[in-house]
Amino acid sequence: MAQVKNRLNPFFENITFDREDNEMILNFGPQHPSAHGQLRLMLHLQQEMIVKAHPDVGYLHRGMEKMAENMIYNEFMPTTDRMDYIASSSNNYGFALAVEKLVGLEVPRRAQVIRMMLLEINRLMSHLFWLATTALDIGAMTVFLFAFREREYLMDIIEGYCGARLTHSAIRIGGVPLDIQDSFIAQLKDFLDKLPQNIKDYEDLLDTNRIWLMRMEEVGTISKEMALSWGCTGPMLRASGVAWDIRKEEPYELYDEVEFNVPWSDKGDNFARYRVYMEEMRESAKILYQTITMYQKCVKDGQTELMAHAPKYVSAPKLDIMTQNYSLMQHFVLVTQGMRPPVGEVYVATESPKGELGFFINSQGGPYPYRLKLRAPSFWHTGILTDLLPGHYIPDVVSIIGTTNIVFGEVDR
Amino acid sequence: MAQHKVNYTQDGGLPVALTSIDKIVNWGRSNSIWALTYGLACCGIEMMASGASRYDFDRFGTIFRASPRQADVMIVAGTLTKKHAEFIKRLYDQMTEPRWVISMGSCANTGGMFNTYATVQGVDRIIPVDLYLPGCAPRPETLQYGVMLLQKKIRANHASRAQKAKRLM
Amino acid sequence: MRAYTPKDDVQKRAYYTDRYYVSPQVPKSPVESDEVFNADLEAIKAKFEVLDAYIQVEQMVVFIKPEDNYKVLELMRDELEYTQLSELSAIDFLAQRGGFEIFYQMLSMNKRKRIRVKMFIENGASVNSVEKLFRSADWSEREMFDMFGIEANGHPFMKRILMPYDWQGFPLLKTYPLQGDEFAAWYEVDKIFGKEARDVIGPELRDTAKVDRYDSERFARLGHEVPKGTKITGNEPKNEQNYQEDGGVFLIKKFDKKDSVVIDDPQR
Repeated sequence: MAQVKNRLNPFFENITFDREDNEMILNFGPQHPSAHGQLRLMLHLQQEMIVKAHPDVGYLHRGMEKMAENMIYNEFMPTTDRMDYIASSSNNYGFALAVEKLVGLEVPRRAQVIRMMLLEINRLMSHLFWLATTALDIGAMTVFLFAFREREYLMDIIEGYCGARLTHSAIRIGGVPLDIQDSFIAQLKDFLDKLPQNIKDYEDLLDTNRIWLMRMEEVGTISKEMALSWGCTGPMLRASGVAWDIRKEEPYELYDEVEFNVPWSDKGDNFARYRVYMEEMRESAKILYQTITMYQKCVKDGQTELMAHAPKYVSAPKLDIMTQNYSLMQHFVLVTQGMRPPVGEVYVATESPKGELGFFINSQGGPYPYRLKLRAPSFWHTGILTDLLPGHYIPDVVSIIGTTNIVFGEVDR
Repeated sequence: MAQHKVNYTQDGGLPVALTSIDKIVNWGRSNSIWALTYGLACCGIEMMASGASRYDFDRFGTIFRASPRQADVMIVAGTLTKKHAEFIKRLYDQMTEPRWVISMGSCANTGGMFNTYATVQGVDRIIPVDLYLPGCAPRPETLQYGVMLLQKKIRANHASRAQKAKRLM
Repeated sequence: MRAYTPKDDVQKRAYYTDRYYVSPQVPKSPVESDEVFNADLEAIKAKFEVLDAYIQVEQMVVFIKPEDNYKVLELMRDELEYTQLSELSAIDFLAQRGGFEIFYQMLSMNKRKRIRVKMFIENGASVNSVEKLFRSADWSEREMFDMFGIEANGHPFMKRILMPYDWQGFPLLKTYPLQGDEFAAWYEVDKIFGKEARDVIGPELRDTAKVDRYDSERFARLGHEVPKGTKITGNEPKNEQNYQEDGGVFLIKKFDKKDSVVIDDPQR
C-alpha cells in the first residue's frame, strides 16, 4: 500500500492576526536553526516588539529521571552524557560525585587531577561551542569556523583519552577508568600555548565589531534580583553581578589548590555574558596549566591509584579481577546486581560550564536510585526567557537565546 | 541510447559532454544535496561539526538549509520524542520531491538507549528512511560516508521515469 | 505459579536481595553541630512547627508542615538570606506512606550553605505555590505537576511543561512503567495517522535483548559486504571501499586510490 496519509490539520498556528489591539502571535520553533535545539517560543508581538513570551520546552524530553529509577548506578553513567552533550564529562562528574558523597568514597589524588583536567577541557569545549554558535546566529561565520577548529583539537585529546568525541563517559563512580595517554600532556600544552592567541583572534573579530556590539550591548539585561529569583547560575549569574562560582565557594576535587579568578560583571546584558565566557576560557587554561604540574607531581610521587578502594561499591582493578577469585566475584556482583548505597539522600551541586549542575539522589538501599532529580542549569535559563524577552524586538530573541547558552538535552532531560 | 566513445571534455578540450538526461539530472541532484538542519540532540552537534571547518561538508555540495522547502535531504540527527513526532511529519511533508531521509544515530534509528515512554522507537515509524547511520553519536566521517552512499543511491535512480512513492513501512 | 508483581510499584526490581541484608544509613548529625544551621533552625522554629531536622552530607534537612511552605520559604529568603531556590520536586511514596515528599533545595550565597526543606503531602492534596517568592518555582512546579500530578495552588499557569498537553498519565509515578502505557505506546501513531493505522505501523519493538537471526545476514562489516541473502561466515574477503560506481561518475573526476594520500597521523 502507498504511504499512509496523515491526520494532522493544516498548521495555522504560526501567525495569528485576528486579535484585538493589533497583537500578533508568532510561533518560533520547535525546529528553528537558531533555537539551539528544540525550543519553541510563542511570541506575542506589538509590531516588532515582544509583549509576551511563552517558551515551550519538552521536545527533547527522553525520561532520564525515570530511566535512572530503573538502572543500577553505574549503568546510568552513559545516560548522563546525553544531558549536556556539549560537555559530557561534567555531567558524568556531577553524577559520580553525588554517588561518591552518598556512599562516602575517597577518590585517589591522581584520579582527581585527571578529573579536573577533563572537566576543564570540557569547559573549554563548551565555551568554544557556545561562541561558535552564538556568533553564527548573529552572522559571524568566521568565528564559527575558527572556534570549531579549536574545538576539534580538544576533541582529539579527549578522543585519545576515552575513545569518544562527544559522549565521553570518561569518569566512573570512584575515580577514572584509565590513566591519560602518553601524548595527552604534550597535546594539551600545544593547544594551551596557542589558545591565548586564538581567543585574541576571536576578540579582534568581535569586540569592536559594530554589528556584534549593537546586537549585544544593552540587550537582554538581567538584573541581579531577577537572576537570583529565576535560579540562574554560572555565567548567567556572574554576568549579572554575583561572583558565585561553586568551584571557588564550595570547592570540590582539588579546586581549592589551584589559582584562578572568577570573572564577573555587573552589566547583565548579552555583552557582559560574552565577556564572562571569554574570560572563563582564559581561567580554564590557567587551571589546566596548573593541573599539568599537579599531574606530573603525582607521577613523580608514584601515586598510581586511579579508583577508590571500596570493595562494596567499586570493582577492583582489572589485574586483580583477572587474577584473584574474590575480586572477580565482587566484580560480578557489582556488574550484575549493582552497588547498594546506604539509605539516605544527597544533593550535590557542581559547576558545569552552563551553571550549577545538581544531582539529587534518594536511595532506599536498593541497587536502583529511588528518585534521582537532575538539576540542570539550562532549565531555568530557558525559563527566564518568559520575563526577559518582553520589551525586546524580534532580532534580539536570537542573540538572547544565544547568550543564555541553553542545551536542550539538559533542559528537557 | 547511443554510446559515444569520444570524450570531448577530455580529448578535444571542448566544453561539451554528451550524456543522457538521467545522468545529467542525477549528477545535479547527487552533487547538490541540500540538507535540512534538523539537529534534535547530540547527533546534531556532530552534524554541525561535519559542516564546520575540519570536516567541511560543503565540498560534497551539502549545504544546510533552514527551510524544508529548499532541502532535499532531511538528516534526522538525534532523539525524536513523542512530543516532537508531529513536527517531523509536517516538515517532511513540506519538503519537495525528490526527498531523502538520513536517520543519524541510534536514537533516530531505533530509539537507541532511550527505551522510555517519551521516545519514538525509530523515526521510520513516522517517515520513510533511506539511510541509517549507526553510532551514538556517529562521527562526522560516518555522516560523510552516508552522504556518499546517498549520492550513489541517487545516481542509481532513473530520474526521467516517474518515481515510485516511498512507502512508510 | 506466576511471579508476583506488585501493582503499586512497577519499576525494575533487584532480582536478588539477601534476606538478612540490612542497609546502612547515610550518617546524620544533629543540627547543633553546625552554628549557622543551628541559628537558622532556631529562627524557623520560633515561628513554625519543625517536625524533624538533621544534617546529612553537609546540608541541613528540615521537615515542615505542608501548609507552612510559603511562609517558611519567605522567612528563609527575607531574613535568613537563602536567596535562591535551586530545585523543587517530589518523591513518590504512595506505596509506602500514601503520599509524596516534596523538597525545596535552598541556597544561601552569603553563608555558603544549602538547606533542604521537606514536607509530606497526602495523595491528591495540593501545595501552595511559591512562585511569588521565587520565579524559578514557576517552571519547577509545572514540572512537578507534569511528572507527579501534584498541583500548586495559586500558580498562574498550571499546565504540563515537558510532556504534550494532551498526554495522559504522570510519568514519574512508581505506578507508571518505564516504557509507557498503552496510550504512550501509540501516541504518535494515533496523533499523526489515526487509530486505524496501528495495524499498518505495528507495535513498537521495545525488547532490547531481542536477537533477529536475519541481522547477521542483513548487516555486514564495512568493507566486507556480501550480496543480500548470502550467509555471512565472518571470513569474507576485504573489499576495497567503493565510493563511486565502477564505470565512473558523469562529470566527476574518477577517484583513484593511487593518486590519493592517506593521512595516518590524525594530529597532523
